[in-house]
Amino acid sequence: MGKPARNSAGFPKNRKERCRKMDLFVQTLVNGILIGGIFITIAVGFSLAFGVMDIIDFAVGEWVMLGAFTAFWFNHFLHIDPLLLLPLVILLFGLIGYLFQPVLQKVINIKHRSAALMALAFTFGLSTFFRGSALTLWGFNNRNLVTFLSEKSVTIFGVTLPALRVGATLFALIVTVLFMVFLYKTKTGMAIRAAAENRAVAGLMGIDSHRLARLVYALYAGLTGMSGIFIGSIFSVFPEMGVRYTAFAFFVVVAGGLGSFSGAIAAGLLLGMIASFVTVYLGGAYVFLILFFVLYLILLFFPKGILGKGW
Amino acid sequence: MQLKFNRGPQLVLLFCFFLVLCLVPFFISSFWLRIATGVFMWIGLALSWNMIGGYMGYISFGHGAFFGVGAYITGLLMSHLNVPFFPAMLAAGLFTYLFAALIGYPTLRLSGAYFAIGTWAFAEMMRQLVLVLKVTGGPYGLRLPAFLNETFFYFLMLGLALLVFLFSYLVFEKSNFGLKVKAVREEETAAQTLGLDTVWIKIQVFALSALFPGIIGGAYAYWITYIHPDSVLGPLIADQMVIMVLLGGIGTLLGPTIGAIVLYIGNRILWVAWGDSSVYLVILGVAICLVILFLPEGLISLGRAKKFRPGGRHFGRAPAGEIARNKARAQGGS
Repeated sequence: MGKPARNSAGFPKNRKERCRKMDLFVQTLVNGILIGGIFITIAVGFSLAFGVMDIIDFAVGEWVMLGAFTAFWFNHFLHIDPLLLLPLVILLFGLIGYLFQPVLQKVINIKHRSAALMALAFTFGLSTFFRGSALTLWGFNNRNLVTFLSEKSVTIFGVTLPALRVGATLFALIVTVLFMVFLYKTKTGMAIRAAAENRAVAGLMGIDSHRLARLVYALYAGLTGMSGIFIGSIFSVFPEMGVRYTAFAFFVVVAGGLGSFSGAIAAGLLLGMIASFVTVYLGGAYVFLILFFVLYLILLFFPKGILGKGW
Repeated sequence: MQLKFNRGPQLVLLFCFFLVLCLVPFFISSFWLRIATGVFMWIGLALSWNMIGGYMGYISFGHGAFFGVGAYITGLLMSHLNVPFFPAMLAAGLFTYLFAALIGYPTLRLSGAYFAIGTWAFAEMMRQLVLVLKVTGGPYGLRLPAFLNETFFYFLMLGLALLVFLFSYLVFEKSNFGLKVKAVREEETAAQTLGLDTVWIKIQVFALSALFPGIIGGAYAYWITYIHPDSVLGPLIADQMVIMVLLGGIGTLLGPTIGAIVLYIGNRILWVAWGDSSVYLVILGVAICLVILFLPEGLISLGRAKKFRPGGRHFGRAPAGEIARNKARAQGGS
């Protein structure tokens, strides 16, 4: 009987050992929630862009990547702290999105038997183009984005909270709440929701859905580019990071139900949990395997999202 | 798009064309022979994707997975169990066929963008699975017994490409089954109300479109002799299949063939000029965007652009009468 005594659930009976395991569990849980916050920001914009424009943007991860790189180069040449660049990046990417949207609209309006899928393939080409350009220009190297919050942390009840992650989550929450207020309390927001629900009827009510679509795409691009700064400073910046976040955005939006905000928030947290628990307990190589398996199950059994609110 | 095989002169022309194809390996250098082999491989893959993407209108971003699974099954059978090549390749095809039917049964309940994402997720899952499994060698890849005879692989790939081409022609262009598949594409609900078993048709097409990539994947593995999760299961395989079909003309027989030839040769020219460069990704991306923006029916529409009535339905959809006729025939023949 040399082994430590364990109870039926496999937990060590020794109290100290159990505490350590418990701590790891809580730490993983908290990390999962903190990461989930950032995914929510991406997912809200993505889901809205889908609702208004009927477009699944394969390039979502590339906007994240470009946002991170924009911050990196500004930081590199002008030595501005990446977190101070947040407003600039939002404005810059918003402008790019605003200018670029008419091209997407042209693709959506193509008279083709599968116009929606042509749009999907188009954004797919776009993402290939962005990734290829980034690889060609900046190589395969990993780069770090250092902010004034990096390396700092807060400890509450024995759980360590990295300051950067807390800051990112808080910021993401604030942005998401502001966005929600805009959507639910203002007239433009109401028009956007109406257009997302039924474009034809909204058009009959005098809503200019083309103008709105431009606005929404600009908001989406700005928010996604901004998330890139956080993601880049928490993890690292490299040209191929986009694929990962495209997959994550898909996961959040599909698991939450396309076009459902509360679903996107729940799924963002779920994603954060899965990513963090699988990394700690199984190893980083399994994250995608488990994630796609879960996505697959959700697509099959909850095609309207885990909260059943999508369409 | 109809190929008229029943005309005498064209038949002779076709025969001469095949004769030339069969004599080619004895006159060109091994460098060009490899490129020609690659062209035939991609023609086969593009035509397989066209079965589900073009004829049935379900865009799958996960067909690279069947290519990779076929390559790995062949590789495992040959290197671990010492199975000869042809049985191993056919077993791989059979496996991907059954596997696709199994995967397709739940996945095909999704439609449109959900189906695209679902298949994409499936393909990524397969790649990750191969990366963590021990038997596949994980990230180190798998080595097959080498068989260095370029002429053999040229004829093998030529044969496979011809097989897929003829199969597409007979099953999707010339048979009642093809009409049923097109009916599902044009209006699934209507096809259902006409008494078509759409679930069975969709699974059948998905499985068939996975059968050939499985076989071709096996042939590729034996040709290259070293396979790796990123080389046979990477997203680029499925991407290129989709792009070749879109470039050439979706839902036709000649379109994917032309798309495969143009894209693969373009790829090789770039490869000669710059090596394995990420510039290819840039050009690929721009090519997709430009084709979708300006040539949504693909290169093949350049050749027949003049036949359209001005102001008529330009973009691919068959006239309503023809659809109805097709559906009636499909129902009557079942």
